[in-house]
Amino acid sequence: MSHNSIVVEDLTFRYPGGDEPVLRDANLTIEPGEFTAVVGGNGSGKTTLCKTFNGLIPHFFEGTFDGSVTVAGTDTRESDVAELSKTVGYVFQDFENQLVQETVRDDVEFAPLNHGLEDYAERATRALETVGLDHLDDRFVWELSGGQQHLVALAGVLAMDPDFVFVDEPAAQLDPHNARETYEQLRRLHEAEDKTIIVIEHHSEFIADYCEEMVLVSDGGVAWKEPVEVGLNRLEDLLAHDIHPPQVTGIADDLPADTGTLPDGRYPVTVEEATTAFPSATPPETRPAADGGAATARGDADAGVASTGDRDALVTLAEVGHGYPTLREGYNRVLDGLDLELYRGDRVALVGANGAGKSTLLRLITGLESPDDGTVTVLGRDTSETLPEQLADDTVYIHQNPEEMFVEDTVRKDVAYYLENRDASDVDERVDEILEYLDLEHLADRDGRLMSLGQQRRASLGIGLATDPTVVLLDEPTGSLDLQSRREVTGMLRKAESRVETVVVASHDLQLVAGWADRVIVMGAGEVLADAPPVEVFADPDLLAATGLRQPQVVELSERVGVDPPALTADAMVETLSGTTESDALADGGVGGEPSSGGRDER
Amino acid sequence: MKYVDAFTDISVADVKVDLMRTAYDNDRAFLNSLDPRVVLLWTVLFMIVPWLFYDPLPLAVMLAAAFVLAALSQVSKYLLALLLFGQVTNVGFFIVVVPLVGGVARALGYVGDNAGGVAEAARTGDLGVFADVFSIVTAAVGEGVHTAMTSQEVGIDAVGAVIPFFLKLTIISVISLAVFSAMSPQKLSKGMLRLGVPRQLTFAIAYGYRMMPLLVEEYHALINSFRLRSKVPEKTGVLKWRYFYYLLKLSIKAFYPLIFNVAKRSRVTVEAMETKGFSHSLGNPESRALRTEGMMVRTRDVSFVFGSLLFVAALWVFL
Repeated sequence: MSHNSIVVEDLTFRYPGGDEPVLRDANLTIEPGEFTAVVGGNGSGKTTLCKTFNGLIPHFFEGTFDGSVTVAGTDTRESDVAELSKTVGYVFQDFENQLVQETVRDDVEFAPLNHGLEDYAERATRALETVGLDHLDDRFVWELSGGQQHLVALAGVLAMDPDFVFVDEPAAQLDPHNARETYEQLRRLHEAEDKTIIVIEHHSEFIADYCEEMVLVSDGGVAWKEPVEVGLNRLEDLLAHDIHPPQVTGIADDLPADTGTLPDGRYPVTVEEATTAFPSATPPETRPAADGGAATARGDADAGVASTGDRDALVTLAEVGHGYPTLREGYNRVLDGLDLELYRGDRVALVGANGAGKSTLLRLITGLESPDDGTVTVLGRDTSETLPEQLADDTVYIHQNPEEMFVEDTVRKDVAYYLENRDASDVDERVDEILEYLDLEHLADRDGRLMSLGQQRRASLGIGLATDPTVVLLDEPTGSLDLQSRREVTGMLRKAESRVETVVVASHDLQLVAGWADRVIVMGAGEVLADAPPVEVFADPDLLAATGLRQPQVVELSERVGVDPPALTADAMVETLSGTTESDALADGGVGGEPSSGGRDER
Repeated sequence: MKYVDAFTDISVADVKVDLMRTAYDNDRAFLNSLDPRVVLLWTVLFMIVPWLFYDPLPLAVMLAAAFVLAALSQVSKYLLALLLFGQVTNVGFFIVVVPLVGGVARALGYVGDNAGGVAEAARTGDLGVFADVFSIVTAAVGEGVHTAMTSQEVGIDAVGAVIPFFLKLTIISVISLAVFSAMSPQKLSKGMLRLGVPRQLTFAIAYGYRMMPLLVEEYHALINSFRLRSKVPEKTGVLKWRYFYYLLKLSIKAFYPLIFNVAKRSRVTVEAMETKGFSHSLGNPESRALRTEGMMVRTRDVSFVFGSLLFVAALWVFL
């Protein structure tokens, strides 16, 4: 046992007032120099476990604490949080509330100043340089983007120069681009500064790309600790805890036995590995046929878009320009000359980098804001002439942060609020129906603010559907959800469709977009950069890169192994690949290009 | 939404930015370049000075000077307008209320004088009592209205009596607006810490400044949430008062969820403060020394204090 490691021995912990221990006989050792991911289902105790590392448990949360936690040779019970935090830095999941001073530099200097360290200024400078924020040191923290705020929180931790840096769900509150940036940053810290990094993470694709070790927490105990490639291959364990393996690993598992494995017999966990493991979809000589197929597919897609011209537009934005005054940079124009029409039956996904104007566009449709230039017409009503309350008869806006939608103290009252305000006749029945529809009955009497994020999302959708809308606008419905909850949201979207005419989703979650949308609107530079079916958008890596997005693994893999047009879902990929594998056998028998197009037909 | 232009989001956004500028953008503010301790002591001094004057003229000059200071401190024009509106309506109120109270008192007096006869008539069951009551009330209203209409001068006199008082209050308000919007929160808490104010309080001030923009955003989002789920009154009434009453009700209701959300946020903040060693800093003299170093009273601080004292002395002597 190294002197510099974190050692958890036989730890059992119960929160004061809790009936059941949250941690039961947990044992874990984290050696210096690791890059470790802690995974586990909701409520498995992983956050509690990690809060013992810096002494928040048992010093801040005083419960029943048996066993021991030793950090770099010190028993945490004999130290205190502030002292332990010099060794174990903690970046909270809710990092925004971790920033307690108003400017970046002040916040980073806060901890060294509290400890009375004379070199606090140099420490802050070094920490800010490490995370690449030295040019922003006089900015107000609330003016920064989410990604930058996360880096400030990280810098605040680094200012104390801890050996261990612990980050709670970095990808949960950040968009994929910023989450990846954060991981790159953590990798640099790990490699160049020799820090031991511990993350709690739901997204197995980040684990596969960046981490080395993996810890599964289950029922308050540590089930196992394995190298990432081994851990991610224990698919049954992962699925039993609502952790989805990387898409490529899932695909490999679904392929017929003996295909899709690496030479050492395990499944690939990264796209890189998958490229070598998976059979090539299209033999080189059949390339022209494949291209022809792609062209046909695109032709169909174009026809689909063209046919929308016959339908009536429910929402029309004509030459819309809109912006906001800001403190430091003057007037910030977010939308500029934007034209867009949304039709009956559309499943629209709005994608684009942060600040591309997705949320602004949605708010303009609600009428909460009137465009500075141009007109927005919703169901024949000009939003500049109509009050948002009146537009809300037919449209509903579901806020990115569900908490902002809870105005009452129970979910039931929240769902009923709209109906009661509009003197609807059968409020109770309609509320009951909605609660049942979205499986919210058991939560009906709880305060929305105190539920888990997944439950909050569901409740916020319930609040929206109770208004019986024609147009539903959702802002980041899968933001900061684990994969299980994300699937629930997708399911909810499908359910909602049977009740409403048009759903617009602003999202960073390209897996959701790939699996659900039929029309993708890419926003950037204040206007619409592309408006096409998902296949076309995802096949254009330049477009995605320009908007800070990243292809879903399955699309990236399609390109690498030559599936064209790319598969959008793991299932489609499995079908294509298993089709190909069979046809490869045929091809060996002498038939040339036919089989691969056969594989495509299956799609 | 055109017909509520004053309440559209554009103007809300403008007001927000203007208030933010007042509170946070103080790089060019004159008072921010001075030593915070000097500014704090000066403020305390000038909270007292106006009370030493009784004539409107020197007070008016002082008020003008306070406005110059406010202008140098980039105080929000909305805040100043609100302050002025409050003071002017307060004064105007006296012009209306003094005669009104006089009239009501007169009318009640008249009713009282004649009530005896009515009671007598009622006891004897005389039907003429109704006619009596009617004539007494009419006469009382007449007396009251007459008094109210003719006692404008009394009202104006009353205003004359309170004007110095309002001037003093306004001077103090404008000065404190100027000081607190000009000084950056860091400087403010630094100065207070050096003057011996407990660290908990100075931190609370700095933290309040940091949280305020978030709260404003959250409050706005909650109001919007309410609006999208409420129904506007169909008849808006005279001057759309029903509509504004509805907005007012919403803006009060929105405080309730706001407080809950804030309470939720602060849970993480308290944990984070612990990890950042906040409790260590409380009794730590080194931490306090580091936090308050680099403050120096310079010539400009001294000349500012003496300059303003000279100004007041001049007012005392010459006006």
